[in-house]
Amino acid sequence: MLKITPAELKSVGKYIHDISGIYLDPSKSYLFETRLGNIAEEHGCSSYEELHLTAKRDGSKRIERQIIDAISTNETLFFRDTGPFDLLKNKLLPEMIDLRAPSSPRLKTNIKIWSAASSTGQELYSVAMTIRDLLGSQLDSYNFRLLGTDISDSVVKQASYGKYNKFEIERGLPKPTLQKHFTLFGDSWKVKDELRGMVNFRKLNLMLPFTGLGKHDIILCRNVAIYFTLQDRKILFNKLADCLADDGYLIIGSTESLTGVCPRFVPKRHLRSIFYQKK
Amino acid sequence: MNDLKILVVDDDPVIRRLLEQRLVKENYEVLLAEDGYVGNDILEKNHVDVVLTDLMMPGDVGGIEVLEFAKNLERDIEVILITAHSSIDTAVEAMKKGASDYLEKPINFTELFLRLEKISTMRSIMRNAEDLRQAMDVTESTAAYTIQNLEMTAGTLQGKLDALEDVLTADNTGDEAKVAKAIEIILKWE
Repeated sequence: MLKITPAELKSVGKYIHDISGIYLDPSKSYLFETRLGNIAEEHGCSSYEELHLTAKRDGSKRIERQIIDAISTNETLFFRDTGPFDLLKNKLLPEMIDLRAPSSPRLKTNIKIWSAASSTGQELYSVAMTIRDLLGSQLDSYNFRLLGTDISDSVVKQASYGKYNKFEIERGLPKPTLQKHFTLFGDSWKVKDELRGMVNFRKLNLMLPFTGLGKHDIILCRNVAIYFTLQDRKILFNKLADCLADDGYLIIGSTESLTGVCPRFVPKRHLRSIFYQKK
Repeated sequence: MNDLKILVVDDDPVIRRLLEQRLVKENYEVLLAEDGYVGNDILEKNHVDVVLTDLMMPGDVGGIEVLEFAKNLERDIEVILITAHSSIDTAVEAMKKGASDYLEKPINFTELFLRLEKISTMRSIMRNAEDLRQAMDVTESTAAYTIQNLEMTAGTLQGKLDALEDVLTADNTGDEAKVAKAIEIILKWE
């Protein structure tokens, strides 16, 4: 494996931060080497600095995409940590449905939900399953718009496709849920069309300005900001506050905290979970 | 000791016996079935890690049916099909239905043992990942509990400070009245 020099740790680390917002600890050189070594080799680069410069010069941004794919962590699973989904089912969704009740029974209830770092889609599909299970046949009177965004093209693609191998499926999905919402597709499982139709995925770098996102009623931003510096976390949650409806809800990772990060949010507790609302 | 329990399904008694001898010699635990019906019956009553089944067997329950039955019963069961060269296309179809692999007759045992070893290694990696995940879950939920308590405390304190700030920075009252109001607020705190 190609070794990284202290000077490269600094310059490549800064480059990765610039393109993704992800802060890699420079004392963990193996992180750079195991994740970028193969890419350097593939492009015939004899050093990480050469890879850095080659990536910058590449007008197609293909190498940059490869680097982002390699350094972003996509550890995710269906219903990861049941807390947030119980919270959605028992409190946030019913309350939001009442808050958004239309003026006429002929109109549909509009609710927008955004998973800000959707990875391969498990979180957003879990939200969609929670909604379907909660509303059942009444779902037709609602207009849910579920958006998933991620910085990595390849995971956005996988999420859109909605196909999961048996290892991804076996984690977190009970058999009845699996059979209700998925169909067997060779040795993999594919999300059923009615579930797939509820969601949309697109690429978004959380470090860049948000455009065309509008206001969302519920935002999930779990276990993403942990890879950012405090300064970047402050910027991110401030932008998320701008994209959240005044009476909307924010859910972050169960071990994350907004204390000292964003004073615009107030924590609220329901059973064993915490969610945030704007002041 | 190998840790895999293997079910051999084959209507040919010679092949069945040969497989049994070789697998037992390698310390695998082996169960035997002379056709698909018996095979499925054994699968229903026993936990099996790997099914080694002939593709073509007399009756309505062939290798494909055993594969489907096994996969339906337990998703992570591994099924290896034994096939004559002429039915490779069917074997490839079976791979699409979730078979792990197929072996051509006559069986090359070195090849078979290599595949079984791979399955065994894969299982131990999966088990290890599962252990790590569980350890992570415990760490995560313990940390979450502490962090959430701190977060609520910080939130409550911030709310109190904000209330005091509002009173003390209001510009329509005198200092004395502000302090009195602030003290009044503080006295109501729990």
